[in-house]
Amino acid sequence: MKLVEFIRPASLSAARDNLRELGPNGMALAGGTALHFMQQHKPGTAVDITRLGLSYIREEGDFYRIGATTPLSDIQRYRAPRWAMHEICRRISTHQIRNISTIGGNICRVFPWADLPVVLLAMDAKMIVYDGQEEEFGADDYFSSQPAKRFLDGQILTAVKVPSLQAYHGFGSVKATRNAAAFALVTIAAVLELDGNHIKSARVAAGSAIPFPRRLPSVEAALTGKEATSQVFKEASEQAGADAPWRGREGMTPAYTKQLAEVSILDALERAATFARGRSE
Amino acid sequence: MKKSPQTVTFTLNGERKTFITEPDEKLLALLRREGYKGTKFGCGQGTCGSCTVLLDDRAVYSCLLYAKQAEGRNVRTIESVGTYENPSEFQEELVKNGAVQCGYCIPGMIMSATSLMETEETFEDEIVKEYMDGNLCRCTGYEKIWGALRTVLDKEAAKKAKEAK
Repeated sequence: MKLVEFIRPASLSAARDNLRELGPNGMALAGGTALHFMQQHKPGTAVDITRLGLSYIREEGDFYRIGATTPLSDIQRYRAPRWAMHEICRRISTHQIRNISTIGGNICRVFPWADLPVVLLAMDAKMIVYDGQEEEFGADDYFSSQPAKRFLDGQILTAVKVPSLQAYHGFGSVKATRNAAAFALVTIAAVLELDGNHIKSARVAAGSAIPFPRRLPSVEAALTGKEATSQVFKEASEQAGADAPWRGREGMTPAYTKQLAEVSILDALERAATFARGRSE
Repeated sequence: MKKSPQTVTFTLNGERKTFITEPDEKLLALLRREGYKGTKFGCGQGTCGSCTVLLDDRAVYSCLLYAKQAEGRNVRTIESVGTYENPSEFQEELVKNGAVQCGYCIPGMIMSATSLMETEETFEDEIVKEYMDGNLCRCTGYEKIWGALRTVLDKEAAKKAKEAK
Protein backbone atom coordinates (compact mmCIF):
# COMPACT_ATOMS: atom_id res chain seq x y z
CA MET A 1 0.00 0.00 0.00
CA LYS A 2 1.50 3.36 -1.01
CA LEU A 3 1.22 5.95 1.73
CA VAL A 4 0.54 9.58 0.87
CA GLU A 5 -0.01 10.67 4.45
CA PHE A 6 1.00 9.49 7.89
CA ILE A 7 -0.91 10.86 10.86
CA ARG A 8 -0.64 10.32 14.58
CA PRO A 9 -3.91 11.15 16.36
CA ALA A 10 -3.67 12.20 20.00
CA SER A 11 -6.54 10.08 21.28
CA LEU A 12 -8.47 6.93 20.56
CA SER A 13 -11.60 8.85 19.63
CA ALA A 14 -9.60 11.09 17.25
CA ALA A 15 -8.12 7.98 15.63
CA ARG A 16 -11.61 6.52 15.20
CA ASP A 17 -12.86 9.79 13.65
CA ASN A 18 -9.85 9.94 11.30
CA LEU A 19 -10.34 6.35 10.16
CA ARG A 20 -14.07 6.87 9.71
CA GLU A 21 -13.47 9.97 7.60
CA LEU A 22 -10.79 8.27 5.49
CA GLY A 23 -12.90 5.18 4.81
CA PRO A 24 -11.15 2.69 2.51
CA ASN A 25 -8.21 5.10 2.07
CA GLY A 26 -7.28 4.94 5.75
CA MET A 27 -5.43 2.20 7.55
CA ALA A 28 -4.75 1.83 11.26
CA LEU A 29 -1.04 1.26 11.73
CA ALA A 30 0.46 -0.59 14.69
CA GLY A 31 3.61 -2.55 13.79
CA GLY A 32 2.86 -1.84 10.14
CA THR A 33 4.69 -4.89 8.81
CA ALA A 34 1.70 -6.14 6.80
CA LEU A 35 1.07 -2.73 5.24
CA HIS A 36 4.12 -3.09 3.01
CA PHE A 37 2.59 -6.11 1.33
CA MET A 38 -1.00 -4.97 0.90
CA GLN A 39 -2.00 -4.93 -2.73
CA GLN A 40 -4.08 -1.81 -2.86
CA HIS A 41 -3.99 0.36 -5.92
CA LYS A 42 -5.20 3.53 -4.27
CA PRO A 43 -2.64 5.35 -2.14
CA GLY A 44 -3.69 5.65 1.48
CA THR A 45 -3.18 7.30 4.84
CA ALA A 46 -1.63 5.50 7.78
CA VAL A 47 -3.22 6.31 11.13
CA ASP A 48 -0.59 5.48 13.74
CA ILE A 49 -2.24 4.07 16.88
CA THR A 50 0.98 3.04 18.66
CA ARG A 51 1.17 6.06 20.97
CA LEU A 52 -2.28 5.70 22.54
CA GLY A 53 -1.31 3.61 25.56
CA LEU A 54 -2.48 0.34 24.01
CA SER A 55 0.73 -1.57 24.69
CA TYR A 56 0.48 -3.49 27.99
CA ILE A 57 -0.24 -6.85 29.61
CA ARG A 58 -2.08 -6.88 32.93
CA GLU A 59 -4.08 -9.26 35.05
CA GLU A 60 -7.76 -8.39 35.36
CA GLY A 61 -9.78 -10.89 37.38
CA ASP A 62 -9.83 -14.19 35.52
CA PHE A 63 -8.24 -12.67 32.42
CA TYR A 64 -4.99 -11.34 31.14
CA ARG A 65 -5.72 -8.17 29.22
CA ILE A 66 -3.30 -7.58 26.37
CA GLY A 67 -3.34 -4.15 24.70
CA ALA A 68 -3.83 -4.32 20.93
CA THR A 69 -0.49 -2.69 20.08
CA THR A 70 1.55 -4.91 22.39
CA PRO A 71 4.44 -6.36 20.36
CA LEU A 72 4.58 -10.14 20.06
CA SER A 73 8.00 -10.14 21.75
CA ASP A 74 6.47 -8.65 24.92
CA ILE A 75 3.89 -11.45 24.96
CA GLN A 76 6.64 -13.97 24.34
CA ARG A 77 8.65 -12.71 27.32
CA TYR A 78 5.73 -12.32 29.74
CA ARG A 79 5.49 -15.02 32.40
CA ALA A 80 2.73 -15.69 34.94
CA PRO A 81 1.35 -18.84 36.59
CA ARG A 82 -1.88 -19.16 34.59
CA TRP A 83 -0.50 -17.89 31.31
CA ALA A 84 0.47 -19.79 28.15
CA MET A 85 0.47 -17.20 25.35
CA HIS A 86 4.27 -16.99 25.22
CA GLU A 87 4.50 -20.47 23.74
CA ILE A 88 3.01 -19.60 20.35
CA CYS A 89 4.48 -16.09 20.13
CA ARG A 90 7.96 -17.58 20.29
CA ARG A 91 7.11 -19.46 17.09
CA ILE A 92 5.85 -16.54 15.02
CA SER A 93 8.23 -15.30 12.33
CA THR A 94 11.60 -13.86 13.37
CA HIS A 95 12.96 -11.90 16.33
CA GLN A 96 12.92 -8.61 14.39
CA ILE A 97 9.29 -9.10 13.33
CA ARG A 98 8.17 -10.11 16.83
CA ASN A 99 9.72 -6.90 18.15
CA ILE A 100 7.45 -4.74 16.01
CA SER A 101 4.45 -6.84 14.96
CA THR A 102 1.51 -6.60 17.37
CA ILE A 103 -1.23 -8.92 18.61
CA GLY A 104 -3.85 -6.54 17.20
CA GLY A 105 -2.26 -6.41 13.77
CA ASN A 106 -2.23 -10.19 13.69
CA ILE A 107 -5.94 -10.56 14.30
CA CYS A 108 -7.56 -7.46 12.76
CA ARG A 109 -6.99 -8.85 9.31
CA VAL A 110 -6.63 -12.60 9.47
CA PHE A 111 -4.50 -14.37 6.91
CA PRO A 112 -5.08 -18.12 6.52
CA TRP A 113 -1.66 -18.95 8.00
CA ALA A 114 -2.07 -16.75 11.11
CA ASP A 115 -1.30 -18.57 14.37
CA LEU A 116 -2.85 -16.28 16.97
CA PRO A 117 -6.49 -16.76 15.89
CA VAL A 118 -6.03 -20.51 16.38
CA VAL A 119 -4.74 -20.04 19.92
CA LEU A 120 -7.35 -17.41 20.81
CA LEU A 121 -10.14 -19.69 19.54
CA ALA A 122 -8.90 -22.59 21.67
CA MET A 123 -8.55 -20.32 24.69
CA ASP A 124 -11.95 -18.69 24.21
CA ALA A 125 -10.46 -15.19 24.32
CA LYS A 126 -12.48 -11.98 24.10
CA MET A 127 -11.73 -9.16 21.69
CA ILE A 128 -12.45 -5.56 22.70
CA VAL A 129 -13.46 -3.25 19.85
CA TYR A 130 -13.76 0.52 20.31
CA ASP A 131 -16.36 2.51 18.44
CA GLY A 132 -17.03 5.44 20.74
CA GLN A 133 -17.38 2.87 23.49
CA GLU A 134 -15.90 -0.55 23.95
CA GLU A 135 -17.69 -3.71 22.92
CA GLU A 136 -16.58 -7.25 23.71
CA PHE A 137 -16.70 -10.13 21.21
CA GLY A 138 -16.13 -13.80 22.02
CA ALA A 139 -13.55 -15.62 19.87
CA ASP A 140 -16.18 -17.84 18.18
CA ASP A 141 -18.10 -14.78 17.04
CA TYR A 142 -15.05 -12.62 16.24
CA PHE A 143 -13.36 -15.26 14.08
CA SER A 144 -16.58 -16.54 12.45
CA SER A 145 -15.55 -14.61 9.32
CA GLN A 146 -12.82 -12.16 8.27
CA PRO A 147 -12.55 -9.70 11.22
CA ALA A 148 -11.35 -6.90 8.90
CA LYS A 149 -15.05 -6.43 8.02
CA ARG A 150 -15.64 -5.20 11.56
CA PHE A 151 -13.28 -2.28 11.14
CA LEU A 152 -14.61 -0.67 7.97
CA ASP A 153 -16.22 2.27 9.73
CA GLY A 154 -13.32 3.44 11.89
CA GLN A 155 -13.67 0.85 14.68
CA ILE A 156 -10.41 0.00 16.45
CA LEU A 157 -9.41 -3.18 18.24
CA THR A 158 -8.09 -2.03 21.63
CA ALA A 159 -7.41 -5.20 23.62
CA VAL A 160 -7.56 -8.98 23.79
CA LYS A 161 -8.66 -10.69 26.99
CA VAL A 162 -7.15 -14.13 27.40
CA PRO A 163 -8.66 -16.27 30.17
CA SER A 164 -6.15 -17.28 32.83
CA LEU A 165 -5.85 -21.06 32.92
CA GLN A 166 -7.71 -22.39 35.95
CA ALA A 167 -6.84 -25.51 37.95
CA TYR A 168 -6.87 -28.72 35.90
CA HIS A 169 -7.04 -26.74 32.65
CA GLY A 170 -4.19 -27.35 30.25
CA PHE A 171 -3.05 -25.74 27.03
CA GLY A 172 -1.08 -27.26 24.18
CA SER A 173 -0.13 -25.93 20.77
CA VAL A 174 1.78 -27.24 17.77
CA LYS A 175 2.99 -25.26 14.80
CA ALA A 176 4.40 -27.36 11.97
CA THR A 177 6.74 -25.40 9.67
CA ARG A 178 9.49 -26.07 7.16
CA ASN A 179 11.90 -23.88 9.10
CA ALA A 180 11.80 -21.66 12.19
CA ALA A 181 10.80 -18.45 10.44
CA ALA A 182 8.45 -19.93 7.81
CA PHE A 183 4.68 -19.61 7.78
CA ALA A 184 2.85 -22.50 9.38
CA LEU A 185 1.94 -25.58 7.37
CA VAL A 186 -0.48 -26.54 10.15
CA THR A 187 -1.19 -24.84 13.48
CA ILE A 188 -3.16 -26.58 16.22
CA ALA A 189 -4.12 -25.34 19.69
CA ALA A 190 -6.06 -27.19 22.38
CA VAL A 191 -7.39 -26.45 25.86
CA LEU A 192 -8.48 -29.43 27.97
CA GLU A 193 -10.27 -29.34 31.30
CA LEU A 194 -9.70 -32.50 33.31
CA ASP A 195 -11.50 -33.97 36.32
CA GLY A 196 -9.08 -36.63 37.46
CA ASN A 197 -8.36 -38.26 34.13
CA HIS A 198 -11.83 -37.50 32.81
CA ILE A 199 -12.14 -34.83 30.08
CA LYS A 200 -14.75 -32.34 31.25
CA SER A 201 -14.43 -30.02 28.29
CA ALA A 202 -12.25 -29.52 25.23
CA ARG A 203 -11.63 -26.70 22.79
CA VAL A 204 -9.50 -27.55 19.76
CA ALA A 205 -8.76 -25.17 16.90
CA ALA A 206 -6.75 -25.34 13.68
CA GLY A 207 -5.32 -23.03 11.08
CA SER A 208 -3.07 -22.73 8.03
CA ALA A 209 -3.83 -25.72 5.79
CA ILE A 210 -7.53 -24.85 5.84
CA PRO A 211 -9.18 -21.78 4.28
CA PHE A 212 -9.69 -19.93 7.57
CA PRO A 213 -8.80 -20.63 11.23
CA ARG A 214 -11.60 -22.51 12.98
CA ARG A 215 -12.54 -24.84 15.81
CA LEU A 216 -12.78 -28.60 15.20
CA PRO A 217 -16.17 -29.64 16.69
CA SER A 218 -15.94 -33.33 15.73
CA VAL A 219 -12.55 -33.61 17.41
CA GLU A 220 -13.91 -31.85 20.50
CA ALA A 221 -16.99 -34.13 20.60
CA ALA A 222 -14.74 -37.20 20.46
CA LEU A 223 -12.94 -35.97 23.57
CA THR A 224 -15.63 -34.59 25.85
CA GLY A 225 -16.72 -37.05 28.54
CA LYS A 226 -13.95 -39.54 27.71
CA GLU A 227 -10.81 -40.54 29.59
CA ALA A 228 -7.65 -38.60 28.76
CA THR A 229 -5.71 -41.47 27.22
CA SER A 230 -3.48 -41.66 24.14
CA GLN A 231 -6.02 -43.95 22.46
CA VAL A 232 -8.85 -41.44 22.95
CA PHE A 233 -6.60 -38.62 21.70
CA LYS A 234 -5.71 -40.67 18.63
CA GLU A 235 -9.33 -41.46 17.82
CA ALA A 236 -10.28 -37.81 18.30
CA SER A 237 -7.48 -36.57 16.06
CA GLU A 238 -8.71 -38.90 13.31
CA GLN A 239 -11.90 -36.81 13.21
CA ALA A 240 -9.92 -33.87 11.77
CA GLY A 241 -11.08 -34.67 8.24
CA ALA A 242 -14.74 -34.37 9.24
CA ASP A 243 -14.32 -30.74 10.32
CA ALA A 244 -12.23 -29.07 7.67
CA PRO A 245 -11.03 -29.50 4.08
CA TRP A 246 -7.26 -29.96 4.47
CA ARG A 247 -5.45 -28.48 1.51
CA GLY A 248 -2.19 -29.57 -0.05
CA ARG A 249 0.47 -26.89 -0.34
CA GLU A 250 4.19 -26.37 -0.73
CA GLY A 251 4.57 -29.77 -2.39
CA MET A 252 2.40 -31.60 0.12
CA THR A 253 -0.69 -33.53 -0.97
CA PRO A 254 -4.02 -32.94 0.82
CA ALA A 255 -3.72 -36.44 2.31
CA TYR A 256 -0.31 -35.61 3.73
CA THR A 257 -1.57 -32.32 5.19
CA LYS A 258 -4.48 -34.14 6.81
CA GLN A 259 -2.10 -36.64 8.36
CA LEU A 260 0.16 -33.81 9.53
CA ALA A 261 -2.91 -32.20 11.11
CA GLU A 262 -3.87 -35.44 12.87
CA VAL A 263 -0.38 -35.95 14.26
CA SER A 264 -0.27 -32.29 15.36
CA ILE A 265 -3.66 -32.58 17.08
CA LEU A 266 -2.50 -35.70 18.92
CA ASP A 267 0.65 -33.87 20.03
CA ALA A 268 -1.26 -30.76 21.15
CA LEU A 269 -3.70 -32.90 23.16
CA GLU A 270 -0.90 -34.79 24.89
CA ARG A 271 0.73 -31.49 25.82
CA ALA A 272 -2.55 -30.00 27.04
CA ALA A 273 -3.26 -33.07 29.20
CA THR A 274 0.25 -33.06 30.72
CA PHE A 275 -0.14 -29.34 31.42
CA ALA A 276 -3.58 -29.87 33.03
CA ARG A 277 -2.50 -32.80 35.22
CA GLY A 278 0.26 -30.75 36.82
CA ARG A 279 -2.02 -27.91 37.85
CA SER A 280 -4.03 -28.38 41.04
CA GLU A 281 -4.52 -24.68 41.68
CA MET B 1 -7.65 16.33 9.57
CA LYS B 2 -4.36 18.03 10.33
CA LYS B 3 -1.65 17.23 7.80
CA SER B 4 1.47 15.73 9.32
CA PRO B 5 4.81 17.52 8.85
CA GLN B 6 7.05 16.07 6.17
CA THR B 7 9.89 15.66 8.64
CA VAL B 8 10.85 13.09 11.23
CA THR B 9 12.90 13.65 14.38
CA PHE B 10 14.59 10.90 16.30
CA THR B 11 17.79 10.14 18.17
CA LEU B 12 20.23 8.51 15.79
CA ASN B 13 23.31 6.93 17.35
CA GLY B 14 22.99 9.21 20.36
CA GLU B 15 22.34 12.46 18.48
CA ARG B 16 18.93 14.02 18.06
CA LYS B 17 18.34 14.68 14.37
CA THR B 18 15.57 15.90 12.08
CA PHE B 19 15.23 14.65 8.53
CA ILE B 20 13.00 15.59 5.65
CA THR B 21 10.99 12.54 4.65
CA GLU B 22 7.85 11.35 2.88
CA PRO B 23 5.06 9.25 4.40
CA ASP B 24 6.02 6.28 2.24
CA GLU B 25 9.76 6.36 2.88
CA LYS B 26 11.24 3.39 4.72
CA LEU B 27 13.67 3.96 7.56
CA LEU B 28 16.26 1.93 5.63
CA ALA B 29 16.07 4.29 2.65
CA LEU B 30 16.35 7.36 4.87
CA LEU B 31 19.38 6.01 6.70
CA ARG B 32 21.21 5.08 3.53
CA ARG B 33 20.58 8.37 1.75
CA GLU B 34 21.80 10.17 4.88
CA GLY B 35 25.08 8.26 4.65
CA TYR B 36 24.51 5.47 7.15
CA LYS B 37 25.39 2.84 4.58
CA GLY B 38 26.44 0.15 7.01
CA THR B 39 22.76 -0.78 7.14
CA LYS B 40 22.26 -2.93 4.04
CA PHE B 41 19.37 -3.40 1.66
CA GLY B 42 18.95 -7.15 1.18
CA CYS B 43 15.56 -8.69 0.50
CA GLY B 44 13.47 -5.59 1.21
CA GLN B 45 10.71 -7.76 2.66
CA GLY B 46 11.66 -8.55 6.22
CA THR B 47 13.34 -11.89 5.76
CA CYS B 48 17.13 -11.62 5.47
CA GLY B 49 18.01 -9.30 8.36
CA SER B 50 20.78 -7.32 6.63
CA CYS B 51 18.88 -4.06 7.33
CA THR B 52 18.58 -4.72 11.09
CA VAL B 53 18.82 -1.63 13.32
CA LEU B 54 17.90 -1.11 16.96
CA LEU B 55 14.71 0.83 17.70
CA ASP B 56 14.58 1.66 21.41
CA ASP B 57 17.19 -1.10 21.91
CA ARG B 58 15.17 -3.76 20.08
CA ALA B 59 16.28 -5.27 16.79
CA VAL B 60 13.91 -4.47 13.91
CA TYR B 61 13.99 -4.67 10.12
CA SER B 62 14.42 -1.11 8.86
CA CYS B 63 13.07 -2.20 5.44
CA LEU B 64 9.68 -2.88 7.05
CA LEU B 65 9.55 0.31 9.07
CA TYR B 66 8.28 3.61 7.77
CA ALA B 67 10.72 6.38 8.72
CA LYS B 68 7.80 8.15 10.41
CA GLN B 69 7.42 5.25 12.84
CA ALA B 70 10.77 6.25 14.36
CA GLU B 71 9.46 9.67 15.44
CA GLY B 72 10.77 10.44 18.94
CA ARG B 73 12.46 7.06 19.24
CA ASN B 74 16.04 5.99 19.72
CA VAL B 75 17.59 4.46 16.58
CA ARG B 76 20.99 2.80 16.50
CA THR B 77 22.82 1.59 13.43
CA ILE B 78 25.99 -0.46 12.94
CA GLU B 79 27.96 2.82 12.86
CA SER B 80 27.31 3.15 16.61
CA VAL B 81 28.81 -0.24 17.42
CA GLY B 82 32.30 -0.05 15.98
CA THR B 83 34.47 1.33 13.20
CA TYR B 84 37.21 -0.12 11.03
CA GLU B 85 39.82 1.54 13.27
CA ASN B 86 38.03 0.75 16.49
CA PRO B 87 35.97 -2.44 16.08
CA SER B 88 33.78 -3.94 18.78
CA GLU B 89 34.76 -7.20 20.43
CA PHE B 90 32.32 -9.20 18.32
CA GLN B 91 33.57 -7.56 15.12
CA GLU B 92 37.15 -8.48 16.03
CA GLU B 93 36.11 -12.01 16.86
CA LEU B 94 34.27 -12.37 13.53
CA VAL B 95 37.45 -11.44 11.68
CA LYS B 96 39.59 -13.77 13.82
CA ASN B 97 37.22 -16.64 13.08
CA GLY B 98 37.16 -15.99 9.33
CA ALA B 99 33.40 -15.58 9.72
CA VAL B 100 33.09 -12.73 7.23
CA GLN B 101 32.94 -13.87 3.64
CA CYS B 102 30.93 -11.53 1.41
CA GLY B 103 30.11 -9.61 4.60
CA TYR B 104 26.71 -8.34 3.51
CA CYS B 105 24.79 -9.94 6.39
CA ILE B 106 27.32 -8.99 9.06
CA PRO B 107 26.04 -5.53 10.10
CA GLY B 108 22.58 -7.04 10.70
CA MET B 109 24.07 -9.98 12.60
CA ILE B 110 26.00 -7.57 14.82
CA MET B 111 22.93 -5.46 15.57
CA SER B 112 20.92 -8.54 16.63
CA ALA B 113 23.84 -9.72 18.75
CA THR B 114 24.13 -6.25 20.32
CA SER B 115 20.52 -6.34 21.43
CA LEU B 116 21.05 -9.88 22.76
CA MET B 117 24.10 -8.86 24.82
CA GLU B 118 22.45 -5.73 26.17
CA THR B 119 19.13 -7.36 27.05
CA GLU B 120 19.86 -10.82 28.42
CA GLU B 121 21.76 -11.85 31.53
CA THR B 122 22.61 -15.37 30.37
CA PHE B 123 23.18 -16.74 26.89
CA GLU B 124 21.91 -20.30 26.59
CA ASP B 125 21.83 -21.60 23.01
CA GLU B 126 18.03 -21.37 22.88
CA ILE B 127 18.06 -17.66 23.76
CA VAL B 128 20.85 -16.95 21.29
CA LYS B 129 18.94 -18.69 18.51
CA GLU B 130 15.84 -16.69 19.42
CA TYR B 131 17.70 -13.40 18.92
CA MET B 132 19.55 -14.49 15.79
CA ASP B 133 16.72 -16.30 13.96
CA GLY B 134 15.99 -13.29 11.75
CA ASN B 135 19.43 -12.98 10.16
CA LEU B 136 20.38 -15.06 7.14
CA CYS B 137 23.89 -15.70 5.84
CA ARG B 138 24.24 -17.32 2.43
CA CYS B 139 28.03 -17.79 2.55
CA THR B 140 29.27 -19.29 5.77
CA GLY B 141 26.82 -21.94 6.86
CA TYR B 142 26.73 -20.05 10.18
CA GLU B 143 29.34 -22.21 11.97
CA LYS B 144 32.03 -19.53 12.08
CA ILE B 145 29.60 -16.75 12.96
CA TRP B 146 28.22 -18.92 15.75
CA GLY B 147 31.73 -19.69 16.97
CA ALA B 148 32.68 -16.01 17.09
CA LEU B 149 29.45 -15.10 18.83
CA ARG B 150 29.79 -17.90 21.38
CA THR B 151 33.31 -16.73 22.31
CA VAL B 152 32.09 -13.18 22.91
CA LEU B 153 28.95 -14.29 24.75
CA ASP B 154 30.91 -16.57 27.09
CA LYS B 155 33.17 -13.62 27.99
CA GLU B 156 30.16 -11.34 28.40
CA ALA B 157 28.37 -13.88 30.62
CA ALA B 158 31.46 -14.21 32.83
CA LYS B 159 31.66 -10.40 33.10
CA LYS B 160 27.97 -10.14 34.04
CA ALA B 161 28.28 -12.93 36.60
CA LYS B 162 31.26 -11.16 38.20
CA GLU B 163 29.35 -7.87 38.34
CA ALA B 164 26.37 -9.59 39.96
CA LYS B 165 28.55 -10.94 42.83
